[in-house]
Formats: sequence, structure tokens, C-alpha cells
Amino acid sequence: MQYNVIVIGSGPGGYVAAIRCAQLGFKTAIIEKYDRLGGTCMNVGCIPSKALLDSTEHFHAAAHTFKDHGIDIPEPKVNFTQMIKRKDDVVKQNGEGILFLMKKNKIDVYTGVGSFVDKNTIKVAGKGKETTLTTEKVIIATGSKPMSLPFAPIDKKRIISSTEALELKEIPKHLIIVGGGVIGLELGSVYARIGSKVTVVEFLDSLIATMDGTMGKELQKILRKEGMEFYLGHKVIALENKGKEVVLKAEDKAGKPLELKGDYCLVSIGRRPYTDGLGLDKIGIELDRGRIPVDDHLKTKVDNIYAIGDVVRGAMLAHKAEEEGTLVAEQFAGQKPHIHYLLIPGVVYTWPEVASVGYTEEQLKADGRIYKVGTFPYKALGRARASMDTDGLVKVLADKNTDEILGMHIIGARAADMIAAGVTAMEFRASAEDVARMSHAHPTYMEAVREACLAATANRPIHM
Amino acid sequence: MSQQVKIPTVGESITEVTIANWLKNDGDVVKMDEVIAELESDKATFELTAPQAGVLKILKQKGETVPIGTVICEVADSAQVAAAPASTPTATPAPTPAKPVSNANSQPTKPGGGPVAAGGIKEMKVPAVGESITEVTISTWLKKDGDFVTLDEIIAEVESDKATFELPAEATGILRIVAKEKTALPIGGLICRIEITEGAPARSATSPIVPGGNAVPASSGASYAAGYPSPAAAKILDEKGVATAQVQGSGVGGRITKEDAVKAQAAPAKPTEAKTAVPSAPPVIVSGGARTVRREKMTSLRKTIARRLVAVKNETAMLTTFNEVDMKPVMELRSRYKDKFKEKYGVGLGFMSFFTKAICAALKDFPAVNASIEGDEIVYHDYCDVSIAVSTPRGLVVPVIRNADALSMAQIESEVIRLATKGRDGKLSIEEMTGGTFSITNGGVFGSMLSTPIINPPQSAILGMHNIVERPIAKNGIVIVTPIMYVALSYDHRVIDGRESVSFLVRVKEMLEDPGRLILGI
Repeated sequence: MQYNVIVIGSGPGGYVAAIRCAQLGFKTAIIEKYDRLGGTCMNVGCIPSKALLDSTEHFHAAAHTFKDHGIDIPEPKVNFTQMIKRKDDVVKQNGEGILFLMKKNKIDVYTGVGSFVDKNTIKVAGKGKETTLTTEKVIIATGSKPMSLPFAPIDKKRIISSTEALELKEIPKHLIIVGGGVIGLELGSVYARIGSKVTVVEFLDSLIATMDGTMGKELQKILRKEGMEFYLGHKVIALENKGKEVVLKAEDKAGKPLELKGDYCLVSIGRRPYTDGLGLDKIGIELDRGRIPVDDHLKTKVDNIYAIGDVVRGAMLAHKAEEEGTLVAEQFAGQKPHIHYLLIPGVVYTWPEVASVGYTEEQLKADGRIYKVGTFPYKALGRARASMDTDGLVKVLADKNTDEILGMHIIGARAADMIAAGVTAMEFRASAEDVARMSHAHPTYMEAVREACLAATANRPIHM
Repeated sequence: MSQQVKIPTVGESITEVTIANWLKNDGDVVKMDEVIAELESDKATFELTAPQAGVLKILKQKGETVPIGTVICEVADSAQVAAAPASTPTATPAPTPAKPVSNANSQPTKPGGGPVAAGGIKEMKVPAVGESITEVTISTWLKKDGDFVTLDEIIAEVESDKATFELPAEATGILRIVAKEKTALPIGGLICRIEITEGAPARSATSPIVPGGNAVPASSGASYAAGYPSPAAAKILDEKGVATAQVQGSGVGGRITKEDAVKAQAAPAKPTEAKTAVPSAPPVIVSGGARTVRREKMTSLRKTIARRLVAVKNETAMLTTFNEVDMKPVMELRSRYKDKFKEKYGVGLGFMSFFTKAICAALKDFPAVNASIEGDEIVYHDYCDVSIAVSTPRGLVVPVIRNADALSMAQIESEVIRLATKGRDGKLSIEEMTGGTFSITNGGVFGSMLSTPIINPPQSAILGMHNIVERPIAKNGIVIVTPIMYVALSYDHRVIDGRESVSFLVRVKEMLEDPGRLILGI
């Protein structure tokens, strides 16, 4: 078959790119290795983890806050099998949804491993059969895989990655997590809420280290309250599956040893771009620290081949991949779209959520920018008190001279949804006072954003 | 003491003037004799100067038409303000729409001296430079992005379709260039920003680093975002190939909205596109040799020339009449007196003064040739403002010799030299190029034997001079050889009849062939 565009990988970057290509009139095909479309995000990432986060949050509320709300129920118990099944159902429905979208847009779906024969020919190795496709353009969207420690490969039994952590058969008694980044903390908070003892070992001195420092500190405070334990600044030196338990050995910077024993160890030290079996050598593309090098238009060194999402530079985020997929498709149609990478929000789906956009305070300091800070705590917010979600704060960074918003960082209930307002404001280069002067409905969580902007404008929040 | 400034009497027939432009803003500190406004009458544009130093209070706004004698502003004198230098940002309420935040008291101080951010950003926009000018081009940046500039220092050369002018810095501080060289900007378009500082740079011109600290109340203007496109607008502009600097943002704080982008006009083909266009479908080349083409964006001057010349061809009933002039008498007179003339007046005696004098005399006899059409009316001028075409590296310009009929030969010659020199240097003011009633063009300097010049609107006629060549002619039944110049008069037949145009040219010929007539007026 001859196509205008072939997309390899059906994650959020790949399938969005395919739909946009089809919308723009290109004859498009998409190749997926697994039986179900959607990639990491839909199958073993964002969606299933959010499904479990919500379930465990309901359980946590039933066990801890219903009483305060005046709801007396017998002590709730976790039906973990059902919890996992509901998650699987959500994933299945989403996968079917994407398949429907492919049909609707007349995109041909090929199941199997796609690899380059030459720059215009792709071989799809499916179950028992091989198909060869030709195309004018290719979009590589093969995503990423969890990384493992060099001395302790993921055995999928007791030493697990995020993929296995989403389909355990039992609630861990003690879950050890190596890596205090987004994935580790999201899954840690799932299990902490349904009764696991959770211990996090992190090499760096702070959690979610790429985000604004205040967020990591605040998150650690909140999660510690939930019973999670943290060993920051610790280097893991050994990890072993002893059959019925795992033993982790680490040491701090002074060399002081630490030994932890648990029934499972989640290794969440990051993800690596996944290009295995793609046959990049056939088209002369060499990787740069695992990633496919691309220019500003996401074009590889081969003229008709583009790459997006986790396999290229930048944050490994589903919505970043989606933007890139759209950009490449529109470029094919001669359009000139833009992506402001600074304004791609980052989100951590712990409870409470953490979300941020723009510069962190640390970056502004390093750049020598003259800035001012406005913060507002959830505690002072009527809406937050009404629903007993008083943990968290909003932090707004603005240029000291122009008052332009340079960064917005939120930790607290609904942060992931609220950050969209920060993105909008920054896309239009609003000042803190601009946002402060816009009416925000009462009582809402968004009032905290407005108050933080008032604080940044002239240190004059109303409710502090 | 506050002094009122009235519209002066500018000419006998002028009863009212329009305030074309305020060059100073309300509240600005002005110096004595500094030009504060441009006034426009039906005949000319002139400048209004401040009668004394002080603070300007504007009473009549730009665009208002007021009778002669009206008080249009006041200049309040005070020892305090008089001592302050004009237009210092800290002493001056900001001109609209940029609003520098001045906060002298709460300034952070950089250790070791150096420039101190005064907390303000001055946005420099393209000033209104003349009635018909809608866009200008930045021809050269004399300062680099990030340079430290002082108030009134010349930072760029700007070119309009009529003139080149220099752009002085409107504040002291660090220059942030917005409009690149060779880009066209509309009037009011953002040229650059100046981050206002106090004091000169010690080492580098970077902003001081002051993390955190007390919040300074922000300006409500949010003008830092002027010219910044919305996400959709950015995409549209890029696809059209329009630079954001070329678009006037209508959104809050001058932001470029999607609608602005949709309405923005695409710029002419860029050189880079031209490069890619060349190799496509190359014709078969038999012989060798390079066959490159070069594309350049038309300058605003060239665009205006093009537009106006075509408009003249389309909108007037233009035709040309010819004659020949025996130049021998003028040449003899000239060679006889040129040394004495030079000695006495300090300028050479050229042909231009003879032609100008002859033309002025002929214009008096045939007023239609000196008239112009304005709507349904013919406007007759009882003075002769003679435009002379000057070729400059940038293109053709036509400065005006005012009241040429009242000038002596020497005065005309020196005026021609002055205007031609200024023209070649690109220094002519707009005023010096507006309002002629008749034009002369001399293709002869380039060797032209004969041409049909195009009228310079709204004028109705133009005289073309050509080269002087010795030709055999018959005179009193004998063939003689004498220096001859062919002359051409292109005229607008709507105003000027054939009898008048031909008679006018004959009159010019007669006076040049017998210069004594110039003295006698016959």
C-alpha cells in the first residue's frame, strides 16, 4: 500500500498526528506493536494510574473523612481485584475509543513491529505475517520505556516498573520506591492510600526535582503526613529479589548505609526513548543519548522522516507529544504552527495534584531575572475548607518591572485543571494584575490563583 | 508665569489651520524655540515653536481645525521645570501609550555602580512624520541591541517614501531592538524598547539582578506585550510571512489578536524565497555563464514613486508639446559674466536660473499652467513654487524653490545647490518637498535628447530640459550651426488648453533666446 504519511506508534503523539494528517487530507496509516492502540499513556501510564488514583482516593475519603462529613459506614475494605478490573475497563474503553477515531478518519491500522527498509518503505512484522508499506513521509512516535537499575533488572515479580505496579495481584505490605519523580510518587500515593507502607529512596535532595522547589517541599510535607517515608540524597547500591521479599541497600552522601526490606520494589528512575527494532540504521539516523535528533520542525536528518514525543528532546509528557504530532501534520500541509515549549504544563497526579507552567523560581534566579513572588495557601480558601482539601498553595512568579507572569505553580486539589488558566494567561503574556482584575467565581479553587496574582502584583491579597 | 500660544498669522488668505501633529505631549518640558507642533493650512505645513521654556499644556487636540489667533496651548514657566532637561523620563509624565514606571525612591542599587533599572520601559513607536506617509522603513540601526543609549542620542536612520530622518532615543537606558533593519513599519508601529536606567554602564549593559524583594506596583498599561501575537495569530502571521513588527496590535496592551493577523497583509516575496524559486524549472541554457537574479524589497520611496506615476498616467489627461531653444544668447551671456557673478554672489551662474526666471515670467502670462485641480475647482496660484527633480541614490525627489518668481538669479542658483545637495544626502525635510506649483526636470544632465516627462501631481505641468547639442538650423535663409536644446512641456489637458501650453513654451523659448526680455518683461 502507498501512503502519504505513516505514523509508527499509536500513543497520544502518534494517534493525534495520524488524525490531524487525515483531517488535512493525507492518506494515513498507523502502526502499533501492541494489540491495543493508545501507547503507554492509555494502557500503562496516565489513564490507568489516574483510574487507580481516583479509586484509592474514594477509599481514603470513605475511611478517613466520611465521619467528619457525618456519614457513618462500616469500616470500608479494599476489593483490590475489583479496583484493578475497573481500571482495566477504563483502559479498554479508551482503547476502543481510539480505534473508533481511526476508523472515523479512515486511517489504516497495522498491528506489528514497524521498521524501516528504506526511507520510503516500512515493513510491519505482525503475528505470522509481514506487510510492506510505502509512504512519502514518516512520523516516528515510538515513545519510551521504563529504565532499570544496571545492577538490578526489572524481574516483573518483585522488582517492578510502573507497568507492573498497575496490575499487581495484591496490595503490597511495604512498597519500596526507587526514584522520587512523578511516576514514583503517583504510584506511591496510590498504594499509601490503600494501606501499603511506602518508602521512597531518591538520589537527589528533593522530590519532583525539575519542578519549582516549593512544590517538592510542600508535596513531601503532605505525603509524609499520609505516612510515606522519604530518604533523599540516597544512592541505591544494591537491590535483590530474595524470593519473598526484596532487599535494598543504599547510602547517603556521607556513606552512611541504609537497608530496606519490602515485598515489592518499584523502580521509577526515569524512562528511556524506545527505538528498538525500528531499523534506524537503515536510514542512517544515529541516536543522541538515546533520543532521535530533530530540528526545530521535528525533522530528522532524513528529509521525509519526522519524530515526536518521548523519542525526541523535551519533557516526556503526553500533551507535549500531542502538540508535536499536530505541528508535524500541519507542517506537511504547508502551515506554520508554533509550540511554546516553556508553556507546556507539567502535572503530577498525586493527591493533592501538582501542576506548573513557565519558569521555576530556581530558573529565574539562575537567569538573573528580576522577579517577584505571590503565594496563596489553600487553607485560606473557603472552597477548600468546605471540602476539607486544605493542603496546598498557589505560587505566581511575575516580572518585577512589567508584572508579566513568568511562572505559575500549584499544589493542591484540582491543580491539574487549574493550570490551564496559567497557560492561557501566559500565552497572552498577561500580567499578574491582569489576572487579578478578572472576575473569578466564588467559591472556587481558582480564587487561589487570583489571590496569588494579587499577592504578586502588589502584595495585597484580600483573604490573607 | 504661563504663556499662551496662539495660531500666528501665516498668510493673507489663510483664515484657519489644522493641527497636523503635536510633536510634544501634554505635560512635556519644552525649550524655548523648540518645535512643538506642526500646523497645516490649505497651502502649506508649518511648525509652531515654543515662546518660552516650560511645561506644555495642550488645549486643542491633533486634527482640530482652528481659526487664526486661537490659543492652542500654554507653556507654564517655572524655575524648577526649566532647569530639568526636556523629555527626561523621570520628570515627564509618559507619552501615550507607553507608560514608564518611574520610582526613583525605591530603586535597587547595583553594587559597584553602573546602570540602575529605573523600573520603566520606554516603547519607541514610529512618529507621524507627514500627512501622506503611512509607513517607514528602518534603514540602519546605528546602535546594537543591548547597547546603552542616552536620551536624544541618534539610534537609527529611518526612511519614508519622502525623506530619511534620524531617530533619537526617547529615553536613557538599554536598547532592545524590535524592528529589524529593512523592515517596513506602519505609523505607530513599535520600533524598539528602551529599558530605562539611571546612570551610565560601568562594564556591561545588563540589567541588575535583584531577586525577590518588595513588589513594585505594575503599570496598568502592560505595554511590554505590545506587538505580541496570540497563539493563533502567530501561526497565521507566520504563514502569511508577515513580521509581528509590521502588525498594529488591537488587543489589550497592543497585543496582536487573531483578527489583526487575519487582516494583516502579506509582505512582498522575501529574498530567501527568491533563492528557492530560482532553481525550479530552469530554462535550457545553451551557452555558459551565470544567470542569477537578485530580488530586493522595494523601498518605501520607490513604492511611492511607482504608485504616484501610474496614478498620474491614469488620472490625468496628459500630453506633451515640444520646442527648440537656441541657447547661444544665454550661453554667451553666461560666459561673459560667470566670473563676476561668482565673485559677487559666491555661486556659479547656471542654466537653471535662466530657465526658472523664464518659466516664472511665462507662468504669470499663462496662469492655467500654474494651476491645479482640487475636486471640482481649479486652484490658481499667484506665486510660483518651482519643484526641481533631483536624482538621488534612493530615487527621485522633488524639492521646491519657494516663491521662485521673487528670487534673484543668484538666490535661485544657491537654492538649487542647497536643495540638490540635501536631496543627495537624503536630508530633505518633508516641508521642503511639498507644495510646488510647477516642476522642472533636466534629463539633459544624463544626455537625454528628448523626453516626455510625467506631471508631478497635483501640479498641472512640467518642463523637461535636455542636452545642448550643436545643430544646423536655418536662420534668415542661411544654415547656421548653433547650440540647441529641445524642451518639452507635459501638461494636464483638463486644466490647460493647447493654446496655453504651446504659447507658454514659446514664451519660455523667446525669453531664453533673447534674455533682454526677462528684464523688460515682454
